[in-house]
Amino acid sequence: MAEVIFDKVEKVYGNDVRAVHDLSLEIGDGEFVVLVGPSGCGKTTALRMVAGLEEISDGTVSIGGRVVNELTPKERDIAMVFQNYALYPHLSVSDNIGFGLRLRKMPKEEVASRIEWAAKLLGLTPYLDRRPKELSGGQRQRVAMGRAIVRHPQVFLMDEPLSNLDAKLRVQMRAEIARIQHEVGVTTIYVTHDQVEAMTMGDRVAVMRKGELQQMDEPQKLYDSPKNLFVASFIGSPAMNIVEATVERRGGGIVVRLGDQELPVPEDVARRRPALSGYSGRTLALGIRPENLEDASVARNGGARLHGRVLLTEALGSEILAHVQIDAAPVVTDDVVEGAVVDETEQVVAADLLGESGDGRRTTFVGRFDAASRVKPDTDIELVVDTAKLQFFDLDTGHAIHESAV
Amino acid sequence: MSVVERTEDAAISRPKAVARRLRGPKWFLEMGWRHVVAICACLFALFPIAYVVSAAFNADQSLGGSSLIPRHVTLENFRAIFRTSQPAGSEFLPAHYVRWFLNSMLIAGATAVATVILGALAAYAFSRFRFKGRRFGMLALLLIQMFPQLLAVVAIYLIVLRVGDVFPVIGLNKPTALIVVYLGGAMGVNTWLMKGFFDTIPSELDESARVDGATPAQIFWGIILPLATPVLAVIALISFITTLNEYVIASVILQTTQKQTLPLGLYQYIDQQFGKHWGPFAAGVLLAAIPAALLFTFLQRYIVQGLTAGAVKG
Ligand SMILES: Nc1ncnc2c1ncn2[C@@H]1O[C@H](COP(=O)(O)OP(=O)(O)O)[C@@H](O)[C@H]1O
Ligand SMILES: [Mg+2]
Repeated sequence: MAEVIFDKVEKVYGNDVRAVHDLSLEIGDGEFVVLVGPSGCGKTTALRMVAGLEEISDGTVSIGGRVVNELTPKERDIAMVFQNYALYPHLSVSDNIGFGLRLRKMPKEEVASRIEWAAKLLGLTPYLDRRPKELSGGQRQRVAMGRAIVRHPQVFLMDEPLSNLDAKLRVQMRAEIARIQHEVGVTTIYVTHDQVEAMTMGDRVAVMRKGELQQMDEPQKLYDSPKNLFVASFIGSPAMNIVEATVERRGGGIVVRLGDQELPVPEDVARRRPALSGYSGRTLALGIRPENLEDASVARNGGARLHGRVLLTEALGSEILAHVQIDAAPVVTDDVVEGAVVDETEQVVAADLLGESGDGRRTTFVGRFDAASRVKPDTDIELVVDTAKLQFFDLDTGHAIHESAV
Repeated sequence: MSVVERTEDAAISRPKAVARRLRGPKWFLEMGWRHVVAICACLFALFPIAYVVSAAFNADQSLGGSSLIPRHVTLENFRAIFRTSQPAGSEFLPAHYVRWFLNSMLIAGATAVATVILGALAAYAFSRFRFKGRRFGMLALLLIQMFPQLLAVVAIYLIVLRVGDVFPVIGLNKPTALIVVYLGGAMGVNTWLMKGFFDTIPSELDESARVDGATPAQIFWGIILPLATPVLAVIALISFITTLNEYVIASVILQTTQKQTLPLGLYQYIDQQFGKHWGPFAAGVLLAAIPAALLFTFLQRYIVQGLTAGAVKG
């Protein structure tokens, strides 16, 4: 077991594809860290540099205090779980799991007992004699896990290990991987493009974009105080509502104006963000999480209100997601579009949600309403906004106007 | 083929299609014509074999007058090729058949095994490593392959002649020399074929093995080769049969009767001006076909098995 440290790591493929840039992060001993970001942001590359499958162009990676740049995968003592499992098709489950142990010339009894231990931990005991192709997807996934844990390596590396499973199994395996990691206590770097997976599994989550680290924090911190517009729109599902707003001073306090509507900024929110008053008269990006919007007709406590028109509703049983159009300009910078889009096919939908298809003066908010709400499409609605949770971002830099920014 | 069915476990097997029973003209349109085509193809392929079998058992020595069904069936032809002493007045070459047979098996067997190993090693390097000259190497192999080996016969003869002065083991009249020439000749095609197959084996398997602690050699022997059995079997088979049949180069390099291979030796049976021994020739050919047929039957298992075991993802 060991800590893993990236120090100013660069990766350039060929001569011009810069996959990872100036990546510095520290992963503690036994910690479960998730690297998350949209497809192509360099997560896999970063992971493979730890594994020794990809050369490090610049900077250093160390495992357990030892710089491993020049070491072979074998010498690094790590185990990796691949997206397509990479099971050896000609070997039985038990030979797959024991492959690495046998290569290390471990005594037979030891190999057998370790395989037995891993199989028990993963519920694979009845399948030890089968070939990989005689297993279901979930079982194959477990075999891949088994192959990693029997070796008792210093670090686990996992590259989207759940992406080949169906949704239900994915949720189940999510919990199982977290349980096993906890049980064996091995430092783990887990790569995924799925922010829900990242939030639910990681002790800490590192958000990457275009090869650069955006923010690394505990999931709740990431959610509550994203450092920039990209992280804000990437983390959270449904995504944060982001809209252009103008800051105005009004009688000692601050209000933000969205189109022809206004929201007062509570005094303590403004006080904790001294930089905010510097924006008065200027436009910034205002972020509101869906759960901080409520249908006024069922809201328990009053507060600032916005009005808009309901476009469509999704009843989920426990709650209702309402898409509400507000007369205010959307923020459609690259940060936001990329953050909100999981893959290319969703781009159209995302652009639509961001109001691009309209005249550019309307934004669609998603509100997470109480199930008691009787909201109907094509009706006007009053929204109650929890203004204590408002988030502010500079439109040009995308940086959060933070509590700490003095 | 049933091999596919066998390995599927109950949890994942699909319900089998219920065979429909058809009759009459409809049966012919759906199924019958396939049988006709198959039978024609079989006849076409078996026709020459029928003649050889017939000639081998025919007491009549001349081919022209004999019918497909021999009037007098005899084993005399088989006895003749194994006989140790020459009958008086005959220019028939005794006692050499067994020699030729062994020479051929040795040369073809060694060539097949070495071809597979060398080709696989080269293909592994081309498929998995990135090195200077990789592209050039691949292209060169392909380009050289474009010229028939026959063009090089003179050069091969001269090279073997000269090299023999320095390394007698691969000099003229040495089976090792012939093997070396054969190995060079088929290298290009085989390497390309195998590289194509290796490329379909996901590189994650190598990487996974590397992370597990395997060296490139261990990956080659432990992962790549077992997964490539179908292509290895095909190439071993093709190489064995081609070598067994080869005449021209063998005739240039192997010069004494004792050292020759079956095609060279057997040709002498029918090459003589006044007594074409078609009977012993046919008997010899028939026996020579047995090892190739056995090898095919043996390797067939691996070809089919390998193809179904190739599924890596799913
Ligand atoms: N072997 C490679 N050669 C050249 N470019 C590559 C290679 N592997 C990845 N890339 C590029 O590097 C970037 C990051 O890729 P990757 O690390 O796979 O992203 P992710 O895993 O986050 O989806 C992408 O732009 C990708 O096209
Ligand atoms: Mg990836």
